[in-house]
Amino acid sequence: MELRHQVIVVGAGPAGLNAAKYAANAGCDVALIDAGKKLGGQYWRHTGAQDFDQSLHHDFDSGSLLMDAVQANPRIIIYSDTSIWSASIINDEIVLRSKSVAFITQRLILATGAYDRAIPFPGWDIPGVMTAGAAQSLLKGSGVIAGKKIVVAGSGPFLLPVSAALSSHGADSVELFEASSATAWLRQLHILLQNPSKIVEGLSYFKTLQSHKVKMKYRSAVVAAHADESGLLKSVTVAKIDSDFKVLSVREIECDVAAISYGFTPDIALATSLGLKAKVASDGSTVISVDGDQRATYTNEKYQIFCAGELTGVGGSDLALVEGAIAGLSAANSSQNKRTLVKLRKRLTRFAKALLMVYPVQTGWKEWLKHDTTICRCEEVDYQEFLYAGQVLGASDARTMKLMTRCGMGMCQGRICSRNIFDLLGSSDDDRIRGGQRPIITPITLGELAQEGLL
Amino acid sequence: MIHFLFEGKSLQATEGQSLAAALLANQERITRYTRGKSKPRGIFCGIGVCFDCLLIVDGVSNQRSCLVEVKDGMQVRIQDGA
Repeated sequence: MELRHQVIVVGAGPAGLNAAKYAANAGCDVALIDAGKKLGGQYWRHTGAQDFDQSLHHDFDSGSLLMDAVQANPRIIIYSDTSIWSASIINDEIVLRSKSVAFITQRLILATGAYDRAIPFPGWDIPGVMTAGAAQSLLKGSGVIAGKKIVVAGSGPFLLPVSAALSSHGADSVELFEASSATAWLRQLHILLQNPSKIVEGLSYFKTLQSHKVKMKYRSAVVAAHADESGLLKSVTVAKIDSDFKVLSVREIECDVAAISYGFTPDIALATSLGLKAKVASDGSTVISVDGDQRATYTNEKYQIFCAGELTGVGGSDLALVEGAIAGLSAANSSQNKRTLVKLRKRLTRFAKALLMVYPVQTGWKEWLKHDTTICRCEEVDYQEFLYAGQVLGASDARTMKLMTRCGMGMCQGRICSRNIFDLLGSSDDDRIRGGQRPIITPITLGELAQEGLL
Repeated sequence: MIHFLFEGKSLQATEGQSLAAALLANQERITRYTRGKSKPRGIFCGIGVCFDCLLIVDGVSNQRSCLVEVKDGMQVRIQDGA
């Protein structure tokens, strides 16, 4: 089946919801597609139940207002539970394929968001070790606390709401280890002071952490995890680290869950499969280049593609909302209120860049690896195989490394390991950008392809 | 409350929960064993990105437990060799 819409938005998080709203309010017929069953994306993930615990969210009120507005808008048709597995340009039209429908448009807005960045260490594949986002999504989406004794670790502001939510919703104990220094913010103080609402938000998390007796340590990291005889997580090794993430001293802490994340990786798979121009951001992530209208470069008069939110650079929900609004207006050829939005975007972008400088992920993590540490989780490639391919077989770029060891070739299509592999190899920007290109966005069975008549 | 079968055991869950969450709430942490080294794996990314929490749902393999909603009477098995 083929469905045509004036504007198609992919992703129903803050950026996509606002993009759909602004484009529809400017008079367009809009389709909003999302892989999830409910609107809100990862940020406003919720159970959908009447008694949903709103205290899990920093600002669920504004989220539910926006979701309600989108749902009530007669110009917006919502396609939830719909994964796009391929995107291509055919006869100057953009064609997005889901399992049963081909969506066709000439104006596309991508708001595909981001996922947690995970860094390898010995034992990071033991059940019980998960990303901070996983612990958060279990709680927000299903009301389940991941464990009893929880260690939260990694780097970035996201660890604060995760620790606050886990400690205030029933975990027996939560300990938080932040790799960055306690005083890193001082160097960016002028930018923080321009965003007082962020100070208020941050303080509210610290207050929750304090009232639930959460111990927080800076310049610390989980550098190994250990399993019991049944293969489940029983403890982690926590290290004091220096500013380069090199280990200074270690101790072992018992826990049944370790929730660990080092910021986010933008999900650019759909964008790069359409040939949109990418660049490497200051944090080493690959992001999509856009102009002041949020328009991606590879477009012409016949079809236009806009990107908003994390896939243009990790910046948080406030920036995503503004970028979404601008993208929605641009797709609708409207310039109402655009100047105010552009000014706001400038301030929030400065804040986002400052954040990335406060929480840098340093290369010292490479020294946490042992010979048998898994590098690619899907294909079970360990560090020894990786080193052999590099040093003996001469694999110096990510593609050759993939061909020789299979790292990045599994089900997740390199989403988890490729950024780490680029860092281990010291890959060039070109190599990072090329390595992010995937013709198939999410795995699909041959049977499903045959049903579509595509085989 | 709804009930589902995991490796033959009847477990309780709340409607609307993901299978991954329902399993964790029942202290079940292993969803699959890897095909190369037979290592246990469980939920990792929680949002459908990493494909680590695969299991067999009503006879269909390679289902991401973090994305599948638990249903009454669902038959769930650990996937050996994903």
